[in-house]
Amino acid sequence: MPAHLKYFLSRFLGALATIVVGSFLVFMVMKAAPGDPALTVLGDFATPETIVEFNKKHGLDNPLIIQYLDWFNGVIRFNFGQSLTISSGQDISDLLAYRLPNTITIGIYSIVIATLVSLVLGTAAALNRGKLTDTATTSFSILGVSMPDFWLGYMLILGLSINIGLFPAYGFISPFESISGSLHSGFLPALAIAAPMAAVFSRTLRASLVENLNRDHVIVAKSIGHSYKFIFLHHVFRNSIIPFVVVIGLQVRYLLGGVVIIEKIFGINGIGSLMVEAAFARDYFVVQACAVVFLATVLVINFIVDMICVLLDPRRAS
Amino acid sequence: MNYKFLLKNHSALAGAVITLLFLLAIIFWPVISPWSSSAHDFLNVLKQPSFQHPFGTDSLGRDVATRVFEGAQVSLLISLSGVIIAMIIGVSIGLYAGYRGGYFDLIVMRVVDLFFGFPAFVLALFLMVALGFGVTNVSLAIMLVYFPIFARITRNTTEVVKNDHFVQAAMIMGQSTRRILCLEILPNISAPILVQASVAVAFGIVIESGLSFIGLGVQPPTASLGVIMADGQEYFRRAPWVMTLTGLVITALLLGLNLLGDGLRDLSDPRLKTRES
Repeated sequence: MPAHLKYFLSRFLGALATIVVGSFLVFMVMKAAPGDPALTVLGDFATPETIVEFNKKHGLDNPLIIQYLDWFNGVIRFNFGQSLTISSGQDISDLLAYRLPNTITIGIYSIVIATLVSLVLGTAAALNRGKLTDTATTSFSILGVSMPDFWLGYMLILGLSINIGLFPAYGFISPFESISGSLHSGFLPALAIAAPMAAVFSRTLRASLVENLNRDHVIVAKSIGHSYKFIFLHHVFRNSIIPFVVVIGLQVRYLLGGVVIIEKIFGINGIGSLMVEAAFARDYFVVQACAVVFLATVLVINFIVDMICVLLDPRRAS
Repeated sequence: MNYKFLLKNHSALAGAVITLLFLLAIIFWPVISPWSSSAHDFLNVLKQPSFQHPFGTDSLGRDVATRVFEGAQVSLLISLSGVIIAMIIGVSIGLYAGYRGGYFDLIVMRVVDLFFGFPAFVLALFLMVALGFGVTNVSLAIMLVYFPIFARITRNTTEVVKNDHFVQAAMIMGQSTRRILCLEILPNISAPILVQASVAVAFGIVIESGLSFIGLGVQPPTASLGVIMADGQEYFRRAPWVMTLTGLVITALLLGLNLLGDGLRDLSDPRLKTRES
Protein backbone atom coordinates (compact mmCIF):
# COMPACT_ATOMS: atom_id res chain seq x y z
CA MET A 1 0.00 0.00 0.00
CA PRO A 2 1.43 3.41 -0.90
CA ALA A 3 2.60 5.38 2.10
CA HIS A 4 0.16 8.23 1.74
CA LEU A 5 -2.82 5.92 1.36
CA LYS A 6 -1.81 4.12 4.52
CA TYR A 7 -1.47 7.46 6.26
CA PHE A 8 -4.94 8.58 5.18
CA LEU A 9 -6.43 5.31 6.30
CA SER A 10 -4.84 5.45 9.75
CA ARG A 11 -5.95 9.07 10.16
CA PHE A 12 -9.46 8.16 9.10
CA LEU A 13 -9.69 5.23 11.51
CA GLY A 14 -8.31 7.42 14.29
CA ALA A 15 -11.00 10.03 13.66
CA LEU A 16 -13.65 7.31 13.60
CA ALA A 17 -12.48 5.90 16.93
CA THR A 18 -12.49 9.42 18.40
CA ILE A 19 -16.08 10.00 17.37
CA VAL A 20 -17.19 6.67 18.88
CA VAL A 21 -15.45 7.29 22.22
CA GLY A 22 -16.31 10.99 22.18
CA SER A 23 -20.00 10.42 21.58
CA PHE A 24 -20.02 7.78 24.32
CA LEU A 25 -18.52 10.26 26.81
CA VAL A 26 -20.92 13.01 25.73
CA PHE A 27 -23.83 10.64 26.20
CA MET A 28 -22.70 9.44 29.62
CA VAL A 29 -21.90 12.93 30.93
CA MET A 30 -25.33 14.08 29.79
CA LYS A 31 -26.91 11.18 31.65
CA ALA A 32 -25.05 12.16 34.79
CA ALA A 33 -26.14 15.78 34.46
CA PRO A 34 -28.47 17.09 37.15
CA GLY A 35 -32.13 17.08 36.19
CA ASP A 36 -34.44 14.54 34.65
CA PRO A 37 -35.62 14.95 31.04
CA ALA A 38 -39.06 13.65 31.99
CA LEU A 39 -39.48 16.23 34.75
CA THR A 40 -38.11 19.00 32.51
CA VAL A 41 -40.69 18.31 29.84
CA LEU A 42 -43.68 17.33 31.95
CA GLY A 43 -43.02 19.97 34.58
CA ASP A 44 -45.51 20.31 37.42
CA PHE A 45 -48.01 18.01 35.78
CA ALA A 46 -45.75 15.01 36.14
CA THR A 47 -47.33 12.01 37.80
CA PRO A 48 -45.54 8.68 38.30
CA GLU A 49 -47.59 7.25 35.43
CA THR A 50 -46.80 10.00 32.92
CA ILE A 51 -43.10 9.81 33.83
CA VAL A 52 -43.04 6.06 33.17
CA GLU A 53 -44.87 6.63 29.90
CA PHE A 54 -42.48 9.40 28.86
CA ASN A 55 -39.43 7.28 29.67
CA LYS A 56 -40.87 4.40 27.71
CA LYS A 57 -41.59 6.58 24.69
CA HIS A 58 -38.02 7.91 24.57
CA GLY A 59 -36.44 4.57 25.45
CA LEU A 60 -35.17 5.95 28.75
CA ASP A 61 -36.21 2.82 30.66
CA ASN A 62 -33.62 0.65 28.91
CA PRO A 63 -30.19 -0.08 30.39
CA LEU A 64 -27.72 2.77 29.74
CA ILE A 65 -25.59 0.83 27.29
CA ILE A 66 -28.63 -0.11 25.20
CA GLN A 67 -29.74 3.53 25.25
CA TYR A 68 -26.32 4.57 24.01
CA LEU A 69 -26.22 1.99 21.24
CA ASP A 70 -29.70 3.00 20.11
CA TRP A 71 -28.69 6.63 20.08
CA PHE A 72 -25.37 6.03 18.33
CA ASN A 73 -27.09 3.86 15.77
CA GLY A 74 -29.21 6.90 14.97
CA VAL A 75 -26.30 9.33 15.06
CA ILE A 76 -24.40 7.57 12.28
CA ARG A 77 -27.53 7.96 10.15
CA PHE A 78 -27.82 11.63 11.10
CA ASN A 79 -30.83 10.87 13.28
CA PHE A 80 -30.45 12.43 16.71
CA GLY A 81 -33.92 11.76 18.08
CA GLN A 82 -36.43 14.44 18.94
CA SER A 83 -36.11 17.78 20.65
CA LEU A 84 -37.51 17.89 24.20
CA THR A 85 -38.23 21.50 24.96
CA ILE A 86 -36.97 24.15 22.53
CA SER A 87 -38.92 22.82 19.59
CA SER A 88 -40.88 20.05 21.18
CA GLY A 89 -41.27 16.87 19.20
CA GLN A 90 -39.36 18.09 16.15
CA ASP A 91 -36.59 15.90 14.75
CA ILE A 92 -33.23 17.27 15.87
CA SER A 93 -31.76 16.38 12.49
CA ASP A 94 -34.21 18.85 10.89
CA LEU A 95 -33.08 21.57 13.28
CA LEU A 96 -29.45 20.80 12.47
CA ALA A 97 -30.01 20.61 8.72
CA TYR A 98 -31.64 24.02 8.81
CA ARG A 99 -28.95 25.64 10.94
CA LEU A 100 -25.74 23.93 9.83
CA PRO A 101 -25.44 25.84 6.49
CA ASN A 102 -25.50 29.17 8.38
CA THR A 103 -22.73 28.10 10.74
CA ILE A 104 -20.65 26.71 7.88
CA THR A 105 -21.08 29.94 5.89
CA ILE A 106 -19.93 32.09 8.80
CA GLY A 107 -17.05 29.70 9.57
CA ILE A 108 -15.71 29.64 6.02
CA TYR A 109 -16.29 33.38 5.64
CA SER A 110 -14.18 34.12 8.70
CA ILE A 111 -11.41 31.70 7.66
CA VAL A 112 -11.25 33.41 4.26
CA ILE A 113 -11.04 36.88 5.84
CA ALA A 114 -8.39 35.74 8.33
CA THR A 115 -6.33 34.01 5.63
CA LEU A 116 -6.40 36.98 3.25
CA VAL A 117 -5.51 39.47 5.99
CA SER A 118 -2.71 37.32 7.35
CA LEU A 119 -1.22 36.61 3.91
CA VAL A 120 -0.81 40.35 3.43
CA LEU A 121 0.31 41.17 6.97
CA GLY A 122 2.56 38.13 7.46
CA THR A 123 4.35 38.66 4.17
CA ALA A 124 4.72 42.40 4.70
CA ALA A 125 6.18 41.84 8.15
CA ALA A 126 8.60 39.14 7.02
CA LEU A 127 9.90 41.24 4.13
CA ASN A 128 10.38 44.28 6.37
CA ARG A 129 11.90 42.63 9.43
CA GLY A 130 12.65 45.01 12.26
CA LYS A 131 11.10 47.95 10.46
CA LEU A 132 7.92 49.82 11.29
CA THR A 133 5.67 47.47 9.27
CA ASP A 134 6.99 44.52 11.22
CA THR A 135 6.53 46.16 14.61
CA ALA A 136 3.01 47.28 13.67
CA THR A 137 2.05 43.78 12.53
CA THR A 138 3.47 42.14 15.63
CA SER A 139 1.64 44.61 17.86
CA PHE A 140 -1.57 44.02 15.94
CA SER A 141 -1.24 40.28 16.38
CA ILE A 142 -0.75 40.52 20.14
CA LEU A 143 -3.67 42.92 20.40
CA GLY A 144 -5.78 40.66 18.20
CA VAL A 145 -5.46 37.66 20.50
CA SER A 146 -6.11 39.82 23.56
CA MET A 147 -9.59 41.01 22.58
CA PRO A 148 -12.49 38.78 23.60
CA ASP A 149 -14.24 38.07 20.30
CA PHE A 150 -17.73 38.78 21.57
CA TRP A 151 -16.64 42.20 22.84
CA LEU A 152 -15.04 42.92 19.48
CA GLY A 153 -18.39 41.96 17.95
CA TYR A 154 -20.10 44.68 19.97
CA MET A 155 -17.42 47.23 19.14
CA LEU A 156 -17.95 46.49 15.44
CA ILE A 157 -21.70 46.92 15.92
CA LEU A 158 -21.07 50.23 17.67
CA GLY A 159 -18.63 51.51 15.06
CA LEU A 160 -19.95 50.16 11.78
CA SER A 161 -23.60 49.56 12.45
CA ILE A 162 -25.09 51.92 15.05
CA ASN A 163 -23.00 54.95 14.10
CA ILE A 164 -22.69 54.65 10.31
CA GLY A 165 -25.23 51.97 9.46
CA LEU A 166 -22.95 50.17 7.00
CA PHE A 167 -23.88 46.67 8.16
CA PRO A 168 -26.87 45.23 10.00
CA ALA A 169 -26.37 44.77 13.75
CA TYR A 170 -28.66 41.78 14.03
CA GLY A 171 -29.94 38.97 11.87
CA PHE A 172 -28.43 36.89 9.10
CA ILE A 173 -29.68 36.16 5.62
CA SER A 174 -29.29 32.50 4.69
CA PRO A 175 -26.95 31.88 1.74
CA PHE A 176 -29.78 29.95 0.09
CA GLU A 177 -31.87 33.11 -0.06
CA SER A 178 -29.25 35.53 -1.27
CA ILE A 179 -25.49 35.09 -1.50
CA SER A 180 -24.73 38.80 -1.48
CA GLY A 181 -27.19 39.36 1.35
CA SER A 182 -25.55 36.67 3.41
CA LEU A 183 -22.07 38.08 2.72
CA HIS A 184 -23.27 41.52 3.74
CA SER A 185 -25.16 40.50 6.87
CA GLY A 186 -22.45 38.03 7.83
CA PHE A 187 -19.54 40.43 7.52
CA LEU A 188 -19.45 41.77 11.08
CA PRO A 189 -19.78 38.39 12.81
CA ALA A 190 -17.21 36.86 10.45
CA LEU A 191 -14.83 39.75 11.09
CA ALA A 192 -15.21 39.40 14.88
CA ILE A 193 -14.29 35.72 14.67
CA ALA A 194 -11.55 36.34 12.09
CA ALA A 195 -9.60 39.01 14.01
CA PRO A 196 -7.92 36.77 16.62
CA MET A 197 -7.34 34.10 13.97
CA ALA A 198 -5.75 36.59 11.58
CA ALA A 199 -3.44 37.58 14.41
CA VAL A 200 -2.25 34.03 15.01
CA PHE A 201 -2.04 33.21 11.29
CA SER A 202 0.04 36.24 10.37
CA ARG A 203 2.42 35.55 13.22
CA THR A 204 2.95 31.98 12.12
CA LEU A 205 3.39 32.96 8.51
CA ARG A 206 5.89 35.67 9.41
CA ALA A 207 7.94 33.28 11.55
CA SER A 208 8.12 30.55 8.93
CA LEU A 209 8.81 33.02 6.08
CA VAL A 210 11.69 34.53 8.06
CA GLU A 211 13.07 31.08 8.79
CA ASN A 212 12.92 30.07 5.14
CA LEU A 213 14.38 33.34 3.89
CA ASN A 214 17.67 32.45 5.59
CA ARG A 215 17.93 28.86 4.44
CA ASP A 216 20.81 27.64 2.33
CA HIS A 217 18.88 26.86 -0.82
CA VAL A 218 17.50 30.40 -0.86
CA ILE A 219 20.99 31.86 -0.58
CA VAL A 220 22.12 29.59 -3.40
CA ALA A 221 19.19 30.67 -5.54
CA LYS A 222 20.11 34.29 -4.88
CA SER A 223 23.72 33.70 -5.86
CA ILE A 224 22.63 31.99 -9.08
CA GLY A 225 20.83 35.23 -9.87
CA HIS A 226 17.19 34.25 -9.84
CA SER A 227 14.83 37.18 -9.53
CA TYR A 228 13.73 38.03 -6.02
CA LYS A 229 10.09 37.47 -6.92
CA PHE A 230 10.83 34.00 -8.28
CA ILE A 231 12.84 33.03 -5.22
CA PHE A 232 10.18 34.29 -2.87
CA LEU A 233 7.31 32.50 -4.58
CA HIS A 234 9.03 29.21 -5.38
CA HIS A 235 11.56 28.73 -2.62
CA VAL A 236 10.36 30.70 0.37
CA PHE A 237 6.60 30.92 0.18
CA ARG A 238 6.02 27.34 -0.87
CA ASN A 239 7.98 26.00 2.07
CA SER A 240 6.28 28.35 4.50
CA ILE A 241 2.76 27.42 3.55
CA ILE A 242 2.70 24.11 5.44
CA PRO A 243 3.03 25.47 8.98
CA PHE A 244 0.45 28.03 7.91
CA VAL A 245 -2.05 25.34 6.90
CA VAL A 246 -1.31 23.39 10.08
CA VAL A 247 -2.11 26.46 12.19
CA ILE A 248 -5.35 27.02 10.31
CA GLY A 249 -6.29 23.46 11.27
CA LEU A 250 -5.35 24.01 14.90
CA GLN A 251 -7.27 27.27 15.10
CA VAL A 252 -10.50 25.64 13.96
CA ARG A 253 -11.05 24.59 17.56
CA TYR A 254 -11.08 28.20 18.68
CA LEU A 255 -12.94 29.38 15.62
CA LEU A 256 -15.85 27.05 16.30
CA GLY A 257 -15.81 28.04 19.96
CA GLY A 258 -16.08 31.69 18.98
CA VAL A 259 -18.97 30.91 16.67
CA VAL A 260 -21.12 29.97 19.67
CA ILE A 261 -21.23 33.42 21.29
CA ILE A 262 -21.00 35.39 18.05
CA GLU A 263 -24.06 33.61 16.63
CA LYS A 264 -25.94 34.45 19.78
CA ILE A 265 -24.98 38.14 19.63
CA PHE A 266 -25.76 38.63 15.96
CA GLY A 267 -28.91 36.54 16.01
CA ILE A 268 -27.66 33.94 13.53
CA ASN A 269 -29.64 30.71 13.48
CA GLY A 270 -26.68 28.34 13.64
CA ILE A 271 -25.50 25.33 15.59
CA GLY A 272 -23.80 27.50 18.22
CA SER A 273 -26.88 29.52 19.05
CA LEU A 274 -28.91 26.31 18.98
CA MET A 275 -26.61 24.83 21.62
CA VAL A 276 -26.92 27.91 23.84
CA GLU A 277 -30.71 27.94 23.52
CA ALA A 278 -30.86 24.23 24.26
CA ALA A 279 -28.58 24.70 27.27
CA PHE A 280 -30.99 27.28 28.71
CA ALA A 281 -34.04 25.17 27.98
CA ARG A 282 -32.35 22.05 29.42
CA ASP A 283 -32.99 20.26 26.15
CA TYR A 284 -30.49 17.48 26.85
CA PHE A 285 -30.95 15.70 23.54
CA VAL A 286 -30.23 18.82 21.51
CA VAL A 287 -27.19 19.75 23.62
CA GLN A 288 -25.60 16.34 23.15
CA ALA A 289 -26.42 16.36 19.43
CA CYS A 290 -24.71 19.77 19.05
CA ALA A 291 -21.67 18.60 21.01
CA VAL A 292 -21.29 15.58 18.70
CA VAL A 293 -21.76 17.74 15.59
CA PHE A 294 -19.03 20.11 16.80
CA LEU A 295 -16.72 17.17 17.52
CA ALA A 296 -17.38 15.71 14.07
CA THR A 297 -16.76 19.08 12.42
CA VAL A 298 -13.38 19.51 14.10
CA LEU A 299 -12.39 15.96 13.14
CA VAL A 300 -13.45 16.40 9.52
CA ILE A 301 -11.55 19.68 9.20
CA ASN A 302 -8.45 18.23 10.85
CA PHE A 303 -8.64 15.32 8.45
CA ILE A 304 -8.83 17.68 5.47
CA VAL A 305 -5.90 19.71 6.80
CA ASP A 306 -3.85 16.53 7.22
CA MET A 307 -4.58 15.57 3.64
CA ILE A 308 -3.66 19.00 2.30
CA CYS A 309 -0.38 18.88 4.24
CA VAL A 310 0.52 15.48 2.81
CA LEU A 311 -0.33 16.66 -0.69
CA LEU A 312 1.89 19.71 -0.18
CA ASP A 313 4.70 17.72 1.37
CA PRO A 314 4.53 13.95 0.69
CA ARG A 315 7.33 13.32 3.19
CA ARG A 316 4.88 13.87 6.03
CA ALA A 317 3.09 10.61 5.24
CA SER A 318 6.00 8.40 6.26
CA MET B 1 15.37 33.22 34.93
CA ASN B 2 16.48 36.54 36.34
CA TYR B 3 15.24 40.11 36.51
CA LYS B 4 17.94 41.44 34.19
CA PHE B 5 16.28 39.63 31.34
CA LEU B 6 13.14 41.65 31.86
CA LEU B 7 15.05 44.85 31.18
CA LYS B 8 16.38 43.51 27.90
CA ASN B 9 13.16 42.01 26.62
CA HIS B 10 10.75 44.86 26.01
CA SER B 11 7.64 42.79 25.54
CA ALA B 12 8.21 40.83 28.74
CA LEU B 13 8.86 44.08 30.59
CA ALA B 14 5.74 45.72 29.20
CA GLY B 15 3.71 42.62 30.01
CA ALA B 16 5.03 42.43 33.56
CA VAL B 17 4.34 46.12 34.16
CA ILE B 18 0.79 45.96 32.74
CA THR B 19 -0.02 42.81 34.69
CA LEU B 20 1.40 44.27 37.89
CA LEU B 21 -0.51 47.54 37.50
CA PHE B 22 -3.64 45.53 36.98
CA LEU B 23 -3.10 43.42 40.03
CA LEU B 24 -2.65 46.59 42.07
CA ALA B 25 -5.78 48.16 40.56
CA ILE B 26 -7.81 45.01 41.08
CA ILE B 27 -6.74 44.77 44.71
CA PHE B 28 -6.81 48.41 45.74
CA TRP B 29 -9.38 50.16 43.57
CA PRO B 30 -12.40 48.67 45.32
CA VAL B 31 -10.80 49.62 48.66
CA ILE B 32 -10.06 53.26 47.90
CA SER B 33 -13.08 53.88 45.68
CA PRO B 34 -15.72 56.05 47.44
CA TRP B 35 -18.48 54.03 45.74
CA SER B 36 -19.85 50.66 46.63
CA SER B 37 -20.21 48.12 43.85
CA SER B 38 -23.74 47.22 44.88
CA ALA B 39 -25.34 50.41 46.26
CA HIS B 40 -28.10 51.65 43.95
CA ASP B 41 -28.34 55.36 43.19
CA PHE B 42 -31.44 56.09 41.17
CA LEU B 43 -30.63 59.78 40.77
CA ASN B 44 -27.51 58.91 38.79
CA VAL B 45 -28.62 56.22 36.38
CA LEU B 46 -26.65 55.57 33.15
CA LYS B 47 -24.39 58.61 33.63
CA GLN B 48 -21.56 59.07 31.14
CA PRO B 49 -17.98 58.68 32.33
CA SER B 50 -16.92 61.70 34.41
CA PHE B 51 -14.41 62.61 37.10
CA GLN B 52 -16.75 61.28 39.74
CA HIS B 53 -17.48 58.05 37.91
CA PRO B 54 -14.53 57.35 35.58
CA PHE B 55 -16.40 54.49 33.85
CA GLY B 56 -19.86 56.03 34.23
CA THR B 57 -22.77 54.39 36.01
CA ASP B 58 -25.04 51.49 35.07
CA SER B 59 -28.82 51.15 34.92
CA LEU B 60 -29.08 51.01 38.71
CA GLY B 61 -26.73 53.95 39.24
CA ARG B 62 -23.85 51.76 40.40
CA ASP B 63 -20.29 52.96 39.78
CA VAL B 64 -19.04 50.85 36.85
CA ALA B 65 -15.31 51.25 37.59
CA THR B 66 -15.71 49.81 41.10
CA ARG B 67 -17.82 46.98 39.74
CA VAL B 68 -15.31 46.21 36.98
CA PHE B 69 -12.34 45.95 39.30
CA GLU B 70 -14.27 43.91 41.83
CA GLY B 71 -15.54 41.76 38.99
CA ALA B 72 -11.98 41.34 37.75
CA GLN B 73 -11.11 39.89 41.18
CA VAL B 74 -13.83 37.28 40.71
CA SER B 75 -12.87 36.49 37.10
CA LEU B 76 -9.16 36.32 37.83
CA LEU B 77 -9.69 34.03 40.83
CA ILE B 78 -11.93 31.71 38.80
CA SER B 79 -9.45 31.55 35.94
CA LEU B 80 -6.43 31.23 38.21
CA SER B 81 -7.89 28.43 40.32
CA GLY B 82 -9.03 26.53 37.23
CA VAL B 83 -5.64 26.87 35.57
CA ILE B 84 -3.68 25.93 38.70
CA ILE B 85 -5.67 22.74 39.19
CA ALA B 86 -5.37 21.99 35.47
CA MET B 87 -1.63 22.54 35.73
CA ILE B 88 -1.24 20.21 38.71
CA ILE B 89 -3.26 17.43 37.10
CA GLY B 90 -1.94 17.93 33.57
CA VAL B 91 1.72 18.19 34.59
CA SER B 92 1.53 15.11 36.84
CA ILE B 93 -0.08 13.00 34.13
CA GLY B 94 2.21 14.38 31.43
CA LEU B 95 5.38 13.81 33.46
CA TYR B 96 4.51 10.22 34.15
CA ALA B 97 3.32 9.50 30.61
CA GLY B 98 6.40 11.05 29.03
CA TYR B 99 8.78 9.29 31.40
CA ARG B 100 7.20 5.86 31.41
CA GLY B 101 5.89 5.67 27.85
CA GLY B 102 4.11 2.44 26.97
CA TYR B 103 0.40 1.86 27.30
CA PHE B 104 -0.15 4.52 29.94
CA ASP B 105 1.33 7.10 27.60
CA LEU B 106 -0.72 5.82 24.68
CA ILE B 107 -4.01 5.93 26.56
CA VAL B 108 -3.34 9.34 28.12
CA MET B 109 -2.46 10.84 24.76
CA ARG B 110 -5.58 9.42 23.11
CA VAL B 111 -7.71 10.94 25.88
CA VAL B 112 -5.92 14.25 25.37
CA ASP B 113 -6.58 14.04 21.62
CA LEU B 114 -10.23 13.43 22.38
CA PHE B 115 -10.44 16.64 24.44
CA PHE B 116 -8.71 18.48 21.61
CA GLY B 117 -11.47 17.34 19.28
CA PHE B 118 -13.97 19.62 20.99
CA PRO B 119 -13.89 23.36 20.38
CA ALA B 120 -12.70 24.86 23.69
CA PHE B 121 -15.77 26.98 24.30
CA VAL B 122 -18.15 24.20 23.27
CA LEU B 123 -16.49 21.91 25.81
CA ALA B 124 -16.90 24.56 28.51
CA LEU B 125 -20.52 25.17 27.54
CA PHE B 126 -21.27 21.46 27.52
CA LEU B 127 -19.76 21.06 30.98
CA MET B 128 -21.80 23.97 32.33
CA VAL B 129 -24.96 22.16 31.23
CA ALA B 130 -23.72 18.92 32.76
CA LEU B 131 -22.45 20.45 36.01
CA GLY B 132 -24.85 23.34 36.48
CA PHE B 133 -24.07 27.07 36.50
CA GLY B 134 -22.08 28.92 39.13
CA VAL B 135 -18.62 30.08 40.17
CA THR B 136 -17.12 26.69 41.10
CA ASN B 137 -18.32 24.99 37.97
CA VAL B 138 -16.93 27.69 35.68
CA SER B 139 -13.60 27.06 37.35
CA LEU B 140 -14.02 23.32 36.82
CA ALA B 141 -14.87 23.86 33.16
CA ILE B 142 -11.69 25.94 32.69
CA MET B 143 -9.75 23.18 34.41
CA LEU B 144 -11.14 20.56 32.02
CA VAL B 145 -10.39 22.74 28.99
CA TYR B 146 -6.77 23.28 30.04
CA PHE B 147 -5.54 20.08 31.68
CA PRO B 148 -5.12 18.29 28.31
CA ILE B 149 -2.99 21.19 27.06
CA PHE B 150 -0.73 20.99 30.10
CA ALA B 151 -0.60 17.19 29.85
CA ARG B 152 0.46 17.31 26.21
CA ILE B 153 3.13 19.97 26.57
CA THR B 154 4.58 18.33 29.70
CA ARG B 155 4.60 14.91 28.12
CA ASN B 156 6.33 16.12 24.95
CA THR B 157 9.03 18.07 26.78
CA THR B 158 9.58 15.25 29.29
CA GLU B 159 10.16 12.82 26.47
CA VAL B 160 12.95 15.04 25.16
CA VAL B 161 14.58 15.75 28.51
CA LYS B 162 14.51 12.18 29.81
CA ASN B 163 17.23 11.18 27.34
CA ASP B 164 19.62 13.83 28.64
CA HIS B 165 22.72 12.67 30.48
CA PHE B 166 21.78 14.08 33.86
CA VAL B 167 18.53 12.13 33.90
CA GLN B 168 20.32 8.98 32.76
CA ALA B 169 22.85 9.54 35.53
CA ALA B 170 20.11 9.92 38.12
CA MET B 171 18.55 6.67 36.92
CA ILE B 172 21.84 4.83 37.16
CA MET B 173 22.39 6.17 40.66
CA GLY B 174 19.12 4.53 41.53
CA GLN B 175 17.09 7.58 42.44
CA SER B 176 13.40 6.98 42.90
CA THR B 177 11.06 7.75 40.02
CA ARG B 178 9.36 10.47 42.02
CA ARG B 179 12.69 12.12 42.77
CA ILE B 180 13.75 12.00 39.13
CA LEU B 181 10.45 13.42 37.94
CA CYS B 182 10.22 16.21 40.50
CA LEU B 183 13.84 17.19 41.03
CA GLU B 184 15.54 16.35 37.74
CA ILE B 185 12.98 16.68 34.97
CA LEU B 186 10.40 19.17 36.27
CA PRO B 187 12.81 22.08 36.86
CA ASN B 188 14.09 21.69 33.33
CA ILE B 189 10.72 21.79 31.67
CA SER B 190 9.12 24.42 33.91
CA ALA B 191 9.64 27.30 31.46
CA PRO B 192 7.29 26.15 28.68
CA ILE B 193 4.75 25.17 31.33
CA LEU B 194 4.85 28.65 32.86
CA VAL B 195 4.49 30.24 29.43
CA GLN B 196 1.44 28.09 28.83
CA ALA B 197 0.09 29.01 32.26
CA SER B 198 0.22 32.75 31.67
CA VAL B 199 -1.57 32.37 28.34
CA ALA B 200 -4.04 29.94 29.91
CA VAL B 201 -4.95 32.40 32.68
CA ALA B 202 -5.65 34.99 29.97
CA PHE B 203 -7.92 32.67 28.00
CA GLY B 204 -9.49 31.39 31.20
CA ILE B 205 -10.73 34.94 31.75
CA VAL B 206 -12.15 34.95 28.21
CA ILE B 207 -13.93 31.64 28.85
CA GLU B 208 -15.34 32.92 32.15
CA SER B 209 -16.54 36.17 30.68
CA GLY B 210 -17.95 34.41 27.62
CA LEU B 211 -19.91 31.87 29.66
CA SER B 212 -21.18 34.49 32.11
CA PHE B 213 -21.95 36.85 29.24
CA ILE B 214 -24.45 34.46 27.68
CA GLY B 215 -25.81 33.71 31.15
CA LEU B 216 -24.46 30.19 31.60
CA GLY B 217 -21.59 31.00 33.95
CA VAL B 218 -21.39 33.12 37.07
CA GLN B 219 -24.87 34.20 38.11
CA PRO B 220 -25.80 37.68 39.35
CA PRO B 221 -25.69 39.21 41.96
CA THR B 222 -22.08 37.95 41.94
CA ALA B 223 -20.42 40.37 39.55
CA SER B 224 -17.74 38.91 37.31
CA LEU B 225 -16.48 40.65 34.19
CA GLY B 226 -18.83 38.56 32.06
CA VAL B 227 -21.83 39.38 34.25
CA ILE B 228 -21.07 43.12 34.01
CA MET B 229 -20.81 42.87 30.23
CA ALA B 230 -24.06 40.93 30.00
CA ASP B 231 -25.61 43.74 32.01
CA GLY B 232 -24.11 46.42 29.77
CA GLN B 233 -25.28 44.59 26.67
CA GLU B 234 -28.92 45.10 27.67
CA TYR B 235 -28.66 48.88 27.39
CA PHE B 236 -25.76 48.92 24.92
CA ARG B 237 -27.37 51.47 22.60
CA ARG B 238 -28.19 53.96 25.35
CA ALA B 239 -25.02 53.52 27.40
CA PRO B 240 -22.30 51.88 25.30
CA TRP B 241 -19.58 52.85 27.76
CA VAL B 242 -20.41 50.11 30.26
CA MET B 243 -19.69 47.36 27.78
CA THR B 244 -16.93 49.21 25.92
CA LEU B 245 -14.87 50.07 29.00
CA THR B 246 -15.34 46.69 30.67
CA GLY B 247 -14.09 45.02 27.49
CA LEU B 248 -11.18 47.44 27.28
CA VAL B 249 -10.14 46.47 30.80
CA ILE B 250 -10.26 42.78 29.85
CA THR B 251 -8.28 43.48 26.66
CA ALA B 252 -5.61 45.40 28.57
CA LEU B 253 -5.32 42.66 31.19
CA LEU B 254 -5.04 39.97 28.52
CA LEU B 255 -2.52 42.09 26.63
CA GLY B 256 -0.35 42.16 29.75
CA LEU B 257 -0.59 38.41 30.29
CA ASN B 258 0.04 37.62 26.62
CA LEU B 259 3.05 39.92 26.40
CA LEU B 260 4.40 38.35 29.57
CA GLY B 261 3.86 34.88 28.12
CA ASP B 262 5.59 35.91 24.90
CA GLY B 263 8.55 37.34 26.75
CA LEU B 264 8.82 34.24 28.94
CA ARG B 265 8.86 32.12 25.82
CA ASP B 266 11.78 34.07 24.40
CA LEU B 267 13.50 33.74 27.76
CA SER B 268 12.98 30.01 27.97
CA ASP B 269 14.11 29.43 24.40
CA PRO B 270 16.63 32.07 23.32
CA ARG B 271 17.11 30.28 19.99
CA LEU B 272 13.55 31.14 19.05
CA LYS B 273 14.27 34.82 19.36
CA THR B 274 17.42 34.82 17.25
CA ARG B 275 15.83 32.63 14.65
CA GLU B 276 12.82 34.88 14.31
CA SER B 277 14.60 38.19 14.01
